[in-house]
Amino acid sequence: MSENIIELIKENVIQGRITRDDEGIEEDMAGQPGVTELVEEALASGIDVSEIINKGLTASMQAVGQKFETGEYFIPDMLASAEAVGTAMEILKPHLEKSGVKPKGKILMATVKGDLHDIGKNIVSILLRGAGYMVKDIGNNLDTKDIVKAVREEKPDYLGLSALLTSTMVSMEDIIKALEESGLRDKVKIIIGGAPVSEEYAREIGADGYGADGFHGVSVIETMNGIN
Amino acid sequence: MTLLNDPIQIDKDKIFNRIGYDGDSVPSSRTASLVEDYIDNYYDLIAPSYSHTVKTIKSVNQNRVDVGDSVILESYKVARLMERCEKVAFFALTIGGYLEELATHLADKGLVLQATVLDAIGSGTAEKLAARIEQNIREEAGRDSMVVSRRFSPGYCDWNVSQQEMVFRALGNNVPGITLNESMLMVPQKSVSGIIGIGRPGNDIEQYNPCITCLEKDCPGRRR
Repeated sequence: MSENIIELIKENVIQGRITRDDEGIEEDMAGQPGVTELVEEALASGIDVSEIINKGLTASMQAVGQKFETGEYFIPDMLASAEAVGTAMEILKPHLEKSGVKPKGKILMATVKGDLHDIGKNIVSILLRGAGYMVKDIGNNLDTKDIVKAVREEKPDYLGLSALLTSTMVSMEDIIKALEESGLRDKVKIIIGGAPVSEEYAREIGADGYGADGFHGVSVIETMNGIN
Repeated sequence: MTLLNDPIQIDKDKIFNRIGYDGDSVPSSRTASLVEDYIDNYYDLIAPSYSHTVKTIKSVNQNRVDVGDSVILESYKVARLMERCEKVAFFALTIGGYLEELATHLADKGLVLQATVLDAIGSGTAEKLAARIEQNIREEAGRDSMVVSRRFSPGYCDWNVSQQEMVFRALGNNVPGITLNESMLMVPQKSVSGIIGIGRPGNDIEQYNPCITCLEKDCPGRRR
């Protein structure tokens, strides 16, 4: 029973089906229970929340990541799956504390000063939530001092910085220096992403990592977290 | 042609391309339906506006084009184009801010797929509008037996984004619906600005493309 529901949750996350009304990647799935109905059924059946998360949600996003890497899935497909996981996590939220399930880590996401682009940051954020992290998106066009303040107050494990322009990516180095000056640098790992930045640039400015795309960003953080 | 009022035909395949599908890949029917739904209804989400002007080039040297009225374009590659031209058209356009506000709202609600599709449609619409304005400038120039170059925008190649200020200065700092932020980015984001060279036929103006000889082979802005 339990294995069957978990397997169905996994399958429906991979299909990106949130509710009974949704089509999946494969057609003719509308009418069958989606992730919302299945997670509610799993809770009603007394299935452990950690089992739903680990065997149902996290495992399914790993499968989606593999499909993306091999070219079977495209960005919209992985976003549909990540949205399904996001919906499942909302349903599970009230049950997390009493079941003792903790997020894998806390991540602050920000787009740097002068830069208004946030689609890439949104994609990475939803994938990280799908992977089991607590993500707080603090916005775009943010002053260095506001990012430092957020790090001080929120105490994240990771800080994700995004920029789409060569003219704005230089702020990333300023932020790292400001965190050093504030005594916060060794308390947070910094991952950068966005079209103009690179692994080399990350090293050059003293960031801890670089995410080439959404799933790569998740993978970099998982490695830092000792999970891969 | 009514520049702002005629319906803008959005190419579905280009939207698929913008959201990550390459030439041969086939979107799932669900994604295709979502894109089609938004294309059918996006027009209520836009409020296009634009401005353009044509100025005579005063002088061109190594890295600098003087258009008068304190409008100076600083770029080696723009200067190589403008030394073939007599005039330069400046333009800026936007599709308005509502579409991107809605995309942000959807993303905040966790509906990132819908936000991504809407964002791609917004970018596609702005590009279509830019092409329409380019065509309008081409037709105006044609009436004087002139030809026009491709579009060039601040931020591409060696033309620094800070030069956006010069485009807006040429337009009298009065572009309906668009403001510049401190990084010289246009707000709303779904806006396009730039210049088009205008000159006599036979000076290799229409085909001028600095990308052909550029060594940055992986440049995302590379034009064929």
